[in-house]
Amino acid sequence: MKKIFTLVMEVMILYLFAIAGNFIAWLFHLPISGSIIGLFIVLILLRFHLLNLSLIENGAAFLMSEMLLFFVPSAVAIIQYKEQILQHGSQFLIVIVLSTITVMVITGLVAQYYIRKWAVKKGEI
Amino acid sequence: MFAIISSIFLTIVVYILSKKMYKKTKIALLSPLLIAPCIISSLLVGLHIDYNDYDRGGRYLSNLLQPAVVGFAVPLYKYRNVLKKYLKVIAVSMTTGVVVALVSCGIFSHIVRLQNTYLLSLLPRSITTPIAMAVSFDIGGMPTMTAIFVIVTGLSGLILGPLVIKYLRIKEKLARGLLLGMGAHGAGTSKALEFGTEEGAAASLAMVLAAIFTLIFAPILTPLVLL
Repeated sequence: MKKIFTLVMEVMILYLFAIAGNFIAWLFHLPISGSIIGLFIVLILLRFHLLNLSLIENGAAFLMSEMLLFFVPSAVAIIQYKEQILQHGSQFLIVIVLSTITVMVITGLVAQYYIRKWAVKKGEI
Repeated sequence: MFAIISSIFLTIVVYILSKKMYKKTKIALLSPLLIAPCIISSLLVGLHIDYNDYDRGGRYLSNLLQPAVVGFAVPLYKYRNVLKKYLKVIAVSMTTGVVVALVSCGIFSHIVRLQNTYLLSLLPRSITTPIAMAVSFDIGGMPTMTAIFVIVTGLSGLILGPLVIKYLRIKEKLARGLLLGMGAHGAGTSKALEFGTEEGAAASLAMVLAAIFTLIFAPILTPLVLL
C-alpha cells in the first residue's frame, strides 16, 4: 500500500513539472510542448542537486514502462475517421511503414558509422 | 462521473489483459498498442457508445503521457556522461533522422498520390503525440489524424525496429537506441528498454531531440515537400 502511495506521489511530482512547463510555454508563447520544458527543468534541477533522483525515480520508471497505455485512448479515436481510413487506409499505411523503415535504417547506419569512425580516431578500437 | 471512471477502468483492464497476452505469445503484431484499441473500439461500436463519451475518461490516461515525457529526464540524467561523450554522433544522427523523416514522408505521400491535407497530417508522425499534434496544427494538418498516424508509426516501429537491428546487424547500443527513439518515439523507446537500460536512455534522448528538431525543421521543410 505504501508502495502505491509513493508511486502516486512521484507521478504527481512529475505531473507538476509538466504543468509548470505548460504554464511557461503559455506565458512566453513558446512553440515547444510543456512536457519537454518540464523535462529540461527536471534535468537542470537534478544536475544542480536541487532535486533528489530518488524523489521521482520509481514514478518515472513506472510511467515509462506503461507508456503504451497512454497511447490507447488516442488510438481508439481511429473510429471517428472510418471514411478516411476506408478510402485512404492502405495509402496511409504504405507511407508510414516505408517512411519508418527508411528513417530507422538511415539513423541506425549513420549512428553506427560515426560511432566506429570516431572510436577508431580516438584509438578505442 | 460514472462514465469517466468506467472508461478509465475499461481501458486499464483491456490494456493489462492485452499486455499479458503479448508477454505470453511474444508476437510483435499482438502489441497491446494494437490489440487494446481494437478491443475497445469494437466494444464502443457494439454498445453504441460515442467516442467523445469514451474520451471524457480516456483523456485522463492520455494526459499521463505528459508526466511520462518529463520522466525521461531520469534516464537522460543517469547516462549523461555517455551522452556527453557521444554528443557529436548523436547530433549528426538525429539531424539526419529528422530530415529523412520529413522528406521521406513527403516523397512516399506523393508516390501514393495523397492529397496535401493528409500529407501535412502525416509529416510530424514520427515524434511524440503532443508535439506531433502541435506541429501538425502549425503546418496546417489535422491534429487528431496526426495522433492516429503517430500511433501507427509507433506500432510499425515496435514491429520493424527489431528487424532492422537484426538484419543490418546494428551492434552498438547507442545506435540501436537512437534508431528506435528516432523512428518510433515513445513506443520505440519502450522497445529499446526491452533491449536494455542504455538502449532505453539513448532512445529517450532520441525521442526528445527528434521532437525539438522537428519543431524547428518541419516549418522550413514543409514548403519544399509540398512541391
